[in-house]
Amino acid sequence: MRRASIAVLGAILIVLLCADWIAPFPYERQFRADVAVPPCRPYRLGTDALGRDRLSRLIYGGRVSMVLAPLAALLAVALALLAGLTAGCLGGWWERVVTTATDLCLSLPWLFLLLAARAMLPLNAGPATSIVITFGLLGLLGWAGPSRILLAAVKRHQRSDFVLLARSEGCPPWRIALVQILPNLRPVAAAQFWVTAPAFLLSEANLGLLGLGVAEPAPSWGNLLREMENLSAVARNPWIAAPLVALVMVVSCFQVAISTGDFEA
Amino acid sequence: MKDNGESGALRLPFWRAALGRLLCLALTILLAAFLAAALVRVAPGFGVDERRLDTRLSESSIRALDAENAGNANLVRYFGRYLSGLCRGELGQSVSFGQPVRELIADRLGLTVRSAAAGVAWAWSGAAVVTLALGILRRRAWELAATVLSGGLLCLPSAVMALLALYLRVGPGLAIGAILLPRILRYLHNITGAMTRRPHVLAARARGIEGLRLVTRHVCLPASAEVLALAAVSVNMALGAAIPVEALCDSPGVGQLVWKAALARDLPVVVNVTVLIAAITASANLISDAIRGAMRREA
Repeated sequence: MRRASIAVLGAILIVLLCADWIAPFPYERQFRADVAVPPCRPYRLGTDALGRDRLSRLIYGGRVSMVLAPLAALLAVALALLAGLTAGCLGGWWERVVTTATDLCLSLPWLFLLLAARAMLPLNAGPATSIVITFGLLGLLGWAGPSRILLAAVKRHQRSDFVLLARSEGCPPWRIALVQILPNLRPVAAAQFWVTAPAFLLSEANLGLLGLGVAEPAPSWGNLLREMENLSAVARNPWIAAPLVALVMVVSCFQVAISTGDFEA
Repeated sequence: MKDNGESGALRLPFWRAALGRLLCLALTILLAAFLAAALVRVAPGFGVDERRLDTRLSESSIRALDAENAGNANLVRYFGRYLSGLCRGELGQSVSFGQPVRELIADRLGLTVRSAAAGVAWAWSGAAVVTLALGILRRRAWELAATVLSGGLLCLPSAVMALLALYLRVGPGLAIGAILLPRILRYLHNITGAMTRRPHVLAARARGIEGLRLVTRHVCLPASAEVLALAAVSVNMALGAAIPVEALCDSPGVGQLVWKAALARDLPVVVNVTVLIAAITASANLISDAIRGAMRREA
C-alpha cells in the first residue's frame, strides 16, 4: 500500500511538473467569449467566472501546491532538526529555551498563528511574493511539533551505547552530534516530513479559502477552492470541486504512506 | 507525627512544581503577547492610517493621527504601555472597529466559548461511542471502516468542513465537532489500542472478562491520564477550528474577530486575542497536567 501510494504521488508530481506541456492553456489566459462554460471539448473542466480554463489552472495550481508544500515541510523539519540537535546536545539553558519556544508555538492554535502572521504581510503582494510568503511562513512556523519529537530522539540516542563509547574515546560534542546522532535521526526526520507535508497542503487550502493564501492570478489548490464558497453552485456544477478531489487524493496518499510506513529509528 | 512529616516533605516539591508551572504559564502568555506585538510591528504598512487619506481632515488632525501612530512605533514602548494597561484592565481601542477591545472581546467571547464547548462535546461523544463500540465488537471490518472514515475526514481542510456546515445549515458547534471528531477519534483509538495490548488486559481477558466491563475498567480507566492530556489538546484544536468556522459561517465570535482584525492589521485586537487564546490553551494544559500529576501520585 505504501509503495502504491508513493508511486501515485510520484506520478502526480511528474504530471504536475510537466504542466507547461500538459496543460491545454496558460493558467492566466482569459477567454472572454467563454465565461463560466461547463465542461466541453476545448475546456475539459469548463471555465471560471473570468473565462480561464479550469483544467489548466488545476494543473498549474497543483504544481505550486505539490512542489512548495513538501519544500516548506523540508524547511520546517530542517529547523526542527537544528533546534532539537542543538538543545539535546548542549542541554542546560539551550534546552530550556528551545523547550519553552516549542511549548509557546504549540500552545497557540496552529491556524491562528498562521492567519495572524500571514495577515501581517502585505495583502497587495504580487503572486510570486505571495507564494513565497505563504509557503515560507508554513515552513518557518511548522518547526515546533517535529522539534519536540526530534529532541526526544536526540536524548534517547545520547543514552545509547555507541554515544557513550564515542564519548569515552574523547570524541568532541559537535562530532558526536554530527557524526553519531544526526545520521540516526534520519528515520524520525523522514517520518516528520511525511506528516508535515500533507498538513501544509491542508493549511494552504485553509488560508486560500480565507483569502490569505496565494494571490491571484497565480493558481494554487488553496485559492482554487475559493470557487467552492457557493456550495449550491457546486451541487449544480460538480466539476468545480475538482481541486478538492485532487487535494483529498494527494493527502490520502500521504496518509497511507505514513500509516503503513516503516519509520522506526 | 511521622505521617505529618512525610506529607509536609511531599507538599514542598508539589508547591514548587505548581509555582514553576504557574510561572511557565505567565511566561508563555507574556511571550505570546510580545511575539504578536513584534509581528505586527515589523509588518509592512504598519503605522499607515487609512484616515490620513480622508480629504476632510485638516493638517493638525493629520499631525495628531501621526503622533498617535508614532507612539505605537517603538515596540518595547508599545509593549510596556500595553502591559501597564493590562494591569489596569485596559486593552486599548480597536482601529478598524472603533470600539474598546475589551468590549469587542467580551461581546464575542461567550459565543466562541459556547461553540468550542459544543464542538468539543460533540466530538468527544462521537469519538467515545465509536471507540467503545470498536472495543466491544472487536471486528476488523468495523475498525477498517472507522479508520477509512476518520482518514477521509482528516483529508478535508477545516475551511471546507465549515462551508459544508454552512450549506447544511448546522450550527458552528456541530461544525467544530465535525472538524475535531476524526482527530480525537484517531488519538483515542491509538491510546486504547496501546492499552489493549498491555499485560493486565490480556490477563483480564484470560480470566473471561469481556465486553463493556473490559473496555471501561481495564482499558479506559487506566488510560485516563492520556485521555485527559488529549482533552487539553482538544481545547487548542477547537479554538483553531473556530477561526475558519466563524469566518465562513458568519458567526460573530472571537475567531471571526481575529480574522477581520488580521485583515485590517488592527494591532490592539490581534495582540489581545493572541494573549487570550494563549492564556486559555496554556491554562487548559496546566489544569490537565496538574490533574494527571495528582492521578499518578494516587496511583
